[in-house]
Amino acid sequence: MAEGGDVEWELSKENIQPLKRGRDISALHQALSQQQDGLSSAINQQRQAFESELRMYDGDDPLDVWDRYIKWTEQTFPQGGKESNLATLLERAVTRFTEEKKYHNDPRYVDLWIKFAETCPEPLDIYRYMQAQEIGVTQASLYIAWSEEYENQGNCRKADLVYQEGFKRGAEPHDKLLQFHKALQARVSRQVMMHVEEEEDSDDEPKEPERVCLADLRHKGKKKAIAPVNRTGPAIRSISGGLQSRGAPVLGNASNSRLVIFDENKSWMAPPTSRAKENEQRPEKWCDVKAPPPPKPTFQPFVEESDQPPTMTPCKINPAVNTVLSARKPCREETPLKRLQEHHQQQKEAESGKPQEQSMYCKELLLSGATEFCFEELRAERYFKKMAQESQEARGQKDQASGSAAN
Amino acid sequence: MTSTLKGITLKGSAELVAEFFSFGINSILYQRGIYPPETFTRVTHYDMSLQLTTDPKLKNYLTNVVSQLKEWLFECTVQKLVLVITCLETNEVLERWQFDIECDKSAKESSAPREKSIKTIQDEIRSVIRQITATVTFLPLLETPCAFDLLVYTDKDLVVPDKWEESGPQIIDQSEEVRLRSFTTSIHKVNSMVAYKRTDSV
Repeated sequence: MAEGGDVEWELSKENIQPLKRGRDISALHQALSQQQDGLSSAINQQRQAFESELRMYDGDDPLDVWDRYIKWTEQTFPQGGKESNLATLLERAVTRFTEEKKYHNDPRYVDLWIKFAETCPEPLDIYRYMQAQEIGVTQASLYIAWSEEYENQGNCRKADLVYQEGFKRGAEPHDKLLQFHKALQARVSRQVMMHVEEEEDSDDEPKEPERVCLADLRHKGKKKAIAPVNRTGPAIRSISGGLQSRGAPVLGNASNSRLVIFDENKSWMAPPTSRAKENEQRPEKWCDVKAPPPPKPTFQPFVEESDQPPTMTPCKINPAVNTVLSARKPCREETPLKRLQEHHQQQKEAESGKPQEQSMYCKELLLSGATEFCFEELRAERYFKKMAQESQEARGQKDQASGSAAN
Repeated sequence: MTSTLKGITLKGSAELVAEFFSFGINSILYQRGIYPPETFTRVTHYDMSLQLTTDPKLKNYLTNVVSQLKEWLFECTVQKLVLVITCLETNEVLERWQFDIECDKSAKESSAPREKSIKTIQDEIRSVIRQITATVTFLPLLETPCAFDLLVYTDKDLVVPDKWEESGPQIIDQSEEVRLRSFTTSIHKVNSMVAYKRTDSV
């Protein structure tokens, strides 16, 4: 193709998670080309830069750094996943500013919360928590996201109530809220209309399953493969058009089911098989049958003299990302919401003057980002900052000196 | 016999390109959710599944546009076809699908057919439509109800037909542009491109 490089995104389109706001195509190309050789150093460097900026920032809008960091992460890791650290980042970011009243109705902060909720298993709980904490209660986007969640779960009445609440709180922008509320009402009324229609013209014959995949799946080779692709129940989401497919959700097509149900009304197709076959074993007890031990090889396996079993399996672990998997411990199950509440609880206790743990080092600074810093890194950051400042000052003086020399 | 299969005439080329637009526009309208998905029906063309609208009004409109387009393609007077997606409430342009058409004006009805098999052309068209489908990976979600409009850029001296009117270019300010694949029938060459509102990030 003539447009060579442009097809990059098309080749990995399945690995790109769609974003609500779309993707920056140049960032996408860059991310895709960089990812071919693992987590490239450029990405790591940029991440490190963001991390240190989080710690070193001393302006009056610390949320800005987080906001940029998170947006950068979204665009740089098109396939999401653990490497992007996005879930951790979002959680850190929203937890970090729960006490800062000035951010509570900042659209950026509310957006972060909504993104965070979408990564959680129970978004509704998060929205309720936000409401209880007065976060984003005057932002239309909260109510829209909340209502959409209800609608996805099929609870249109609650979805409508959420909008009512939004109107009551005077959420802004009002127009947007109104528009989305209207769209919801239109979707609901259309659904109702269709149900009525369905009932009117529903004769006894069952509806054909409507949902079909792009093309019929055909099996290859001798094996008869059966691929049931019917989505059912809550898996069918109404799309932005908001119209549900008209066919009744089906539990697998009849032709797809492998289970043959015995029908006693049918006559026997063939007489029962006789037992008089030569090579058929009769069923017998198996509990005390032992498998024969594996036969010893009749030859000596060749082992190279210099061969030594490796002491450790070589593996590449990126220290910045903790991708080591271990079995989930059932006892320590905690949801992001629980952690949030705990954090909140601690803050309250601190306010009420209860004695609590106090670390005698700058724990906050070390742990505030998505990854942990060590003291040396912090010191290096400070050192470089100082150096930069000094060199700038020196340059300034030189300029002055040369200026006076010219005079 | 071989000439109909292996070569391509001006008329055949105009028809192929017009057909591409018919399927392409239908695809975009379906993919971007401009019309509800159940008003579309599945057909197989170019060896792939495509969605065609069943909405009578829309169908009628598209047939009109495409037949008019075919005429212009035959006369080689069309330069661009643009599909604009606008927000219904605010009339803001959200997406702009642009198809630049390069016509080889030396081709006449009587001239000998060009060497290019229909199969090759259809293969090229198929990859364009595939790419249109794949654009959902980076396009922003259309959150509000949207309308669409078709703009056709023609040569200056053309008489405007009754059902057409002059219009502005409807350009998106601060847009992100992505070139898609192109195809050529050796008489008409179509370059595709989509423009969408830039994200405010990075």
